[in-house]
Amino acid sequence: MNASLTPILQIRNLKTYFQTEAGIAKAVDGVDFDVFPGEVVGLVGESGSGKSVTALSILRLIPSPPGKIADGSILFQGRNLLELPWPEIRAIRGKEISMIFQEPMTSLNPVFTIGMQMTESVLAHEHVSRKAAFDRSVEMLELVGIPDPPSRMNDYPHQFSGGMRQRVMIAMALSCNPSVLIADEPTTALDVTIQAQILELMLRIKDRRKDAAILLITHNLAVVAETCHRVIVMYGGRIQEIAPVQELFRNPLHPYTRGLLASVPAVDGERRERLPAIPGNVPSIFDLPVGCKFETRCKERLERCAQIEPSILEVSPGHWVRCHLVNP
Amino acid sequence: MKILEIDQLRVSFPVVGGVLRRKTAEVKAVDGVTFALEQGETLGLVGESGCGKSTVGRAIVNILRAMVYGVEISGSILYRHGSTSVDLAQLSREKMRPYRPDIQMIFQDPYSSLNPRMTVGQIVEEPLKIHTRLTSRERKDRVNLLLEKVGFAGEQGNRYPHEFSGGQRQRIGIARALATNPKIVIADEPVSALDVSIQAQVINLMRDLQDEFGLSYIFIAHDLSVVRHISDRIAVMYLGHLVEIGPGELIYKNPMHPYSRALLSAVPRPDPFVKRERRIQLTGDVPNPIRKPSGCAFRTRCPIAKPSCADAVPPLEFKEGRWVACPWV
Repeated sequence: MNASLTPILQIRNLKTYFQTEAGIAKAVDGVDFDVFPGEVVGLVGESGSGKSVTALSILRLIPSPPGKIADGSILFQGRNLLELPWPEIRAIRGKEISMIFQEPMTSLNPVFTIGMQMTESVLAHEHVSRKAAFDRSVEMLELVGIPDPPSRMNDYPHQFSGGMRQRVMIAMALSCNPSVLIADEPTTALDVTIQAQILELMLRIKDRRKDAAILLITHNLAVVAETCHRVIVMYGGRIQEIAPVQELFRNPLHPYTRGLLASVPAVDGERRERLPAIPGNVPSIFDLPVGCKFETRCKERLERCAQIEPSILEVSPGHWVRCHLVNP
Repeated sequence: MKILEIDQLRVSFPVVGGVLRRKTAEVKAVDGVTFALEQGETLGLVGESGCGKSTVGRAIVNILRAMVYGVEISGSILYRHGSTSVDLAQLSREKMRPYRPDIQMIFQDPYSSLNPRMTVGQIVEEPLKIHTRLTSRERKDRVNLLLEKVGFAGEQGNRYPHEFSGGQRQRIGIARALATNPKIVIADEPVSALDVSIQAQVINLMRDLQDEFGLSYIFIAHDLSVVRHISDRIAVMYLGHLVEIGPGELIYKNPMHPYSRALLSAVPRPDPFVKRERRIQLTGDVPNPIRKPSGCAFRTRCPIAKPSCADAVPPLEFKEGRWVACPWV
């Protein structure tokens, strides 16, 4: 990564809380990271780690109430997305920053044709004729590998398979050539042969625009290894480790990252008798430890871990870790 | 010893249409599947959505007729117990009952498969009430033993499912499946709803319980890396057909059927250093099972298909230590 580049997206001290009957859920609690032009960043974590809420916060898609972005800033092209008025946010959504969701069935409207939904997003953002928007949509469908696009424009979402719907979502998300694509578990609901097709497709289309970036949210470390340049590991609403992908897999420093990498079963190499599991359960979001969020499950816990949360430290260029072990 | 022998199993679901809900077509979800399960082994059943792997599992526990009106089942599912054997495929609900304790199931979704209004203890106790004549005291003891085996402390049995996380709920489902001392456990995607760090816990637990109770598993999953870890043998299905079956390590190291090869090459590897040989890209989607291709079901996406593939369904042949349904490999 070229350090002299200015980030396209700069997230600082992001805090997104949810007010519930059981108390305040600090889903994202002080998250800082950058996304640079041209890179694919993986945001990894388990359920409840705050990875999806982080993504939704960027586009201000947090339902409020109960959710609230309590603090922080998200700089995009010099503007703080968290302070923009709604019309300007709407102009950015789908045009400058697009999002793909996990479930392609629920993110398409079942009562409108694919063509209507695709042209609508083009017309909403660009002053082009209906005809031009239609042509652009057909071209995008062709690009994502949907056979016979002009006739498929008249079909409804239920007439497409899961993989085809996700292709449509990608075509729609990319039809305005956004500079940032946020993909939230884009292949989790898909079969593995289709997953491979979709990931390759996303990367291929991204390469059409050299300065475009992808923020890929996933729990699948193998997907990260194959697609990302940099990885951000989240746990308990906090970033625990950031590193370039090869560095993270070769030299994981946070005990959580290490445990996560060890517990992934492999399809190649020798089969291990037992999978090294991380003991215990993910702590409740209402009952997170005061110190290190991973302290309750950590095998290398120190005395101070329960009381003092470590700050995040850069241990080598681009490799950040939040752990007392690296700063004894 | 073969504890289960499945021969030419066919399951077809009716497709109904029109105002009168007449049968207009049928889906051959399982189309002539033959395999056996050895006592004490784990057979991994893999394939993509719609390949029929779950239907095979449900046919074995004989719940398809209760689930789908008009389902047609043919072929046989021989279950051996002691010196006798019984064909489960055609048993009525009543006749099946004596065998239910022996063949249990673990489900994918730990949220919808547990009754939210029963305590954990009651959930695990219920099969004992139905299938055994244990006294209330004996049942309680057994429930406590089972919960302990899957890692719960005594008083947690009085709590409700919503108080537990996904991984803990899946343990409850496992305890319930083991309550009646089954011989065979069908696990249908038991860890795919769980987080990676929790998956490993549940898989390790299932292996420990298998050793302790001498269980035979049929482990149904789409995640090939998880299946490899737990299975002794692997069976690969595509559109209702078994395309390859054999020892797990053999198939993972050297898959022979073009579909098995494509499936394995598509699995992403958790290693950013390996520059992998180009993936075998399958074009298109799995065909609609109502209009299945003639002959070999995989021929429409197969990189080595020949015109004669359309003629007949290729039979399983024994090659290099495993059975493969493709004449060209």
